[in-house]
Amino acid sequence: MSLTSLVPLIGIADVVIGLSLGSRLFLIAVGLSLIFGVLGVLNFAHGGFYMLGAYVTLAVVSNVVDNFWVAAVVGALAVGVVGAAIEFSAIRRLYDRVDSDLDQLIVTFGFVLVIHETVRFVWGSGSYSIDPPDVFNFSVTLGGSTFNAYRLVVIGLAVGVLAALWLFITRTYFGSLVRGTSSDREMAAMLGVDVPRLYTGVFFLGSVLAGLGGALSAPLQSTSPALGDQVIIDAFIVVVIGGLGSMSGAFVGAMLIGMMQSLGPQFISAGSIAIPFLAMVIVLLIRPEGLFGGIGE
Amino acid sequence: MSATDTGGRVSRFGSAVAEGWTRERLGLLGAVALVLVAFAPPFQVYLFTDFLVVALFALGFNLLYGYTGLLSFGHGLFYAGGAYGIAIVLRDLGPVIADVVGAGISPLVTFVLGGVVGLALVVALAVPVGWLSVRLEEIYFALITLAFGMLGYSLIIQDPAGLTNGTDGVIVLLGTVDLGGFSLRIGGRRIYYAISAVTVVAAVYGVWRVVNSPFGTVCKAIRESPDRAAALGIDVSHHRWMTFIVSAVVVGIAGVLRAGLASVASPGLTHWSTSAIAVIATVIGGATYFYGPIVGAFIFLYIRWAISRFPALEAYWELFFGALLIAVVLFFKQGAVGGLLLLRDRLFGDGDADDAGSGGGGARDDGGQATAATDDGAESGDDNARADRGDNS
Repeated sequence: MSLTSLVPLIGIADVVIGLSLGSRLFLIAVGLSLIFGVLGVLNFAHGGFYMLGAYVTLAVVSNVVDNFWVAAVVGALAVGVVGAAIEFSAIRRLYDRVDSDLDQLIVTFGFVLVIHETVRFVWGSGSYSIDPPDVFNFSVTLGGSTFNAYRLVVIGLAVGVLAALWLFITRTYFGSLVRGTSSDREMAAMLGVDVPRLYTGVFFLGSVLAGLGGALSAPLQSTSPALGDQVIIDAFIVVVIGGLGSMSGAFVGAMLIGMMQSLGPQFISAGSIAIPFLAMVIVLLIRPEGLFGGIGE
Repeated sequence: MSATDTGGRVSRFGSAVAEGWTRERLGLLGAVALVLVAFAPPFQVYLFTDFLVVALFALGFNLLYGYTGLLSFGHGLFYAGGAYGIAIVLRDLGPVIADVVGAGISPLVTFVLGGVVGLALVVALAVPVGWLSVRLEEIYFALITLAFGMLGYSLIIQDPAGLTNGTDGVIVLLGTVDLGGFSLRIGGRRIYYAISAVTVVAAVYGVWRVVNSPFGTVCKAIRESPDRAAALGIDVSHHRWMTFIVSAVVVGIAGVLRAGLASVASPGLTHWSTSAIAVIATVIGGATYFYGPIVGAFIFLYIRWAISRFPALEAYWELFFGALLIAVVLFFKQGAVGGLLLLRDRLFGDGDADDAGSGGGGARDDGGQATAATDDGAESGDDNARADRGDNS
């Protein structure tokens, strides 16, 4: 009864679009959150990583292999390598500083500019788009509204990534090292954990996730150099609402913001883009640790 | 013996120059330079005005960052606050003011009144925003100020009250003062430069007085250690709040000047990427020095201009500043001002300049210190910068 009365109000397509927007936000936000939870670094360049993932995927699809999935994996891994290189060459130098948090934020902001300009130099200022992979490139009609089946694939993959990360962090040996280092770096180092290598590894993983987010959403949006700057702000909102360091928080936060982006304009005409920022301010003031717990939760 | 002679001459020359850099002479030199700029070609006058405005913007920002240890990514909100304040007064109250004071003088009265309204708007924003923001520290402070800035951006874009004209912004028309035989176009490049130069110099002097007052000393104490400052009986969050408001007002003055210079108050002023300009200029110039943001703004504007002379590079000037920002934070946190001071000490030595031998020794010592600061990175670099600051302020 209630469902049928809701359907005319909120189209199923809007919900699917909202969830798929949330999924791409989750992939970038969970990497951001993981890196913050373990390294204590708020990576301003994460939006740049996401954009780079989309560009590399587009370049591979159109120039190397005509297979979207292969290209997406190449894109994600390439971004992982870039991320690890940045951690290894620059961010690593700052861990022991007094004001390390702010210095790290400023250095990663420097990389925002570098990545943005490099992408513009290589691919130009125009925007690119590609079709979803053929297998999923068809329309689904549900409850009177239509959407592309590929959106469901992205949502499914995001849920899969959340599950895989959760298993990885809570059930594997490497995951226990990550959790241990996250709660006490000195103690972990004394117990024989190779902390610098673990940090590079986590930064690699977080960057791969951002790259994957960019790769998977390449068919859903037009890719331009401005993409990184837009998406990083959304990712900041998501991780603040979900809690910096929390993976499940990143998921719920991302879905919330995705739905708000999709449905918001229908309900509130004026001020709808202000609401996520208002939510961010309120969460920071009332519950700065976010609505959900720490890492591994 | 001849080698010693040369050394002696060099250091005697050095000490003569070094002792000549008294504050009064430097001030006089600055004033002469400011007057000379007014006779430069129009574009150079414009560029220099632009530099002064960005310098004031960064200086206001650094009151919070360099002096109190709080990194704001949302100071664009107050930059825009000043700009929109004056722009809306000029647009909506211009005719009313002309009726009251007469058409001849009204552009000047409107301009001044607009500036006052802009600053009042900034205070009205900074009091609540600062009160809420200073509850948080470090990354969280950066995030909440970013959120406030973007909240302002969204509201200006969506314009629920019908005041800000959405994405197009508000056009600023400064008009011409006409008093019978005497007329003055406020927006004219040279006139506007004169207004900006006087305002910026006065504001910089004001900030200088603030940071060298007991208030500024408390700021530095909080930056060094909030806990110890609190143990001395300082109300840390109240003091941070007050610093936030002063910082916002300085940025607001820069915003008022920006509106007239750009002839428009646009929503981009409150976007985080505008707030980031203050961060870039300050860090490159040297956040631990009073003049750091000013030197940083100079580098920012003039290197950008120099890059724009090469069409092939023009579009990629951000790449240069990104790389410079990374290099400064990683290797030389004292920034450009720290580098200049180091260079001065190396060239001219410090103290005992009459004795050639010890003059050379002094230079070597300084060199050693510099290498240590660069190699050890963070800790010693910071200490060095702070020690320098202690000397200078």
